Amino acid sequence: MIEVMNLTKNYGSLRAVDGVSFTIPAGRITGFLGPNGAGKSTIMRVITGFTPASGGKVEVAGFDVSRQPLEVKRRIGYLPEHVPLYEEMTVRGFLRFVAGIKRISRENHQSETDQVMERCGLTVMANRIIGNLSKGYRQRVGLAQALLGNPPVLILDEPTVGLDPRQIAEVRAMIRSLGGEHTILLSTHILPEVSMVCDSVIIIHRGRVVYDGPVPDSGKGGASLEELFMRAVAADPAGQDEPAGIRREKEA
Amino acid sequence: MSRIWTVCRREFISYFQTPVGYVALGVYALICGLAFVLSLFMYAKVSVQPPAYGYTSIPNFGEALVSPYLVFCGILFMFLSPLITMRLLAEERNRGTLELLLTWPLTDRDIIFGKYLAAVGMLLLMMPVIALHLFLASRFRPLEPAAIALGVATVVLMGLALISLGMFISAVSRSQVVAGTLTFGVNLVMYIAGNVGEKLPQRNPAPEGWPEMLRAGIGAVWELFRGLLTQLPLDAHARDLTLGVARPRDIVYYLLFAAFFLFLTFRALESRHWRGK
Repeated sequence: MIEVMNLTKNYGSLRAVDGVSFTIPAGRITGFLGPNGAGKSTIMRVITGFTPASGGKVEVAGFDVSRQPLEVKRRIGYLPEHVPLYEEMTVRGFLRFVAGIKRISRENHQSETDQVMERCGLTVMANRIIGNLSKGYRQRVGLAQALLGNPPVLILDEPTVGLDPRQIAEVRAMIRSLGGEHTILLSTHILPEVSMVCDSVIIIHRGRVVYDGPVPDSGKGGASLEELFMRAVAADPAGQDEPAGIRREKEA
Repeated sequence: MSRIWTVCRREFISYFQTPVGYVALGVYALICGLAFVLSLFMYAKVSVQPPAYGYTSIPNFGEALVSPYLVFCGILFMFLSPLITMRLLAEERNRGTLELLLTWPLTDRDIIFGKYLAAVGMLLLMMPVIALHLFLASRFRPLEPAAIALGVATVVLMGLALISLGMFISAVSRSQVVAGTLTFGVNLVMYIAGNVGEKLPQRNPAPEGWPEMLRAGIGAVWELFRGLLTQLPLDAHARDLTLGVARPRDIVYYLLFAAFFLFLTFRALESRHWRGK
């Protein structure tokens, strides 16, 4: 569903993403891990068509992001990192606006926005001004706009940041329930979240993929996700001192 | 097409979810009203005693009152337009909503035309004030309805051009304040340039004693410079239009001005594809 081929992205002389390739099959929930500044958000921005790639190719549902951006954008729901929103609008007004943009037919605006507000627990806040909402609710509005129009691909940049523990559990359950019919790429810093929600995991370090494979199951006596992450991130991605374990797991 | 309308409607409504819309409309109505009343008083004084003001007979109503008033309305919009245009794209960029806008299934055309039309909507909301004034004026001296319509249309034409310029500046700015200040500055310079241009002498500024070739060269450059200064400013083409003389070149000037900066706005938004690649 999402195919990233040899993607590079430079900011001036800084190479933020360096030859990244991975494939996410349809219906899979993939966790996107990496230390701060590893290039996760940059890769997500390239996939959504917000930032152009310096090199390489990204395809979503068979459409090239740089050639047919509109076709790609129709199929992606995107929650950006800092959840930018139109502060002066009400929750309902904003979601109606997004429904119009996402080519949802006029007679379905009401039902679709109601449904997505229900799903994100926003119904009680429907008539509030977005600028007055708490961070958790803003996050939900961001999620709601991504879900509107039921796009097959969801790109979620840290969806549970700023939520209280109960909301986190709810959002995780929701993402879990979206798997299967949606292809989801989910970036996070919370490792247990990946174990709980994701089918597979990609670890990025200094703009390169250092692990791409299933979520390790510590119950079976293997390395836990945390150990895997620490090992992957400790390794110099360009160098020779790569721990032997990683390459094997990558090929597996 | 419906996407343009969706973007436009949100943009237009948000003028009134913040004080910007009310302030712009209120200030415009207030100053236009003052200008109208003052010029009416002035005209009344002049027509009672024309020789005292250097006229041989009662001055023409259109030339002495309606036309200067309409040109003033256009110039007033010149100074209020930054209020309307500065937020269009700079604010999206500043608060990060540009990231949403550019990842939703929208084309650049939807975004730019949607926003442009919203600002034009604000401009059109201001026009009833002028139409009302012209209607009142027509109670004193008959004015042809076509002349009133052309007068309002002239201010709209100036507005179309100014909004386009302001939106381009907003598209290349990171913050509203920068966009607003820059737009205001450019408009002011353009206005002053027009006034200066009219006062420049027509004759060649090169001294008589210089070689003929050099003099001819300087003369040509001077003519071009003077022409630009007098023809480029936005208010220069409004005068004849407001007198009811609809010359195609004046109308085309405003439309081309608007189209040119719309074109540049497209290029500015597109530049994300190649800048920093």
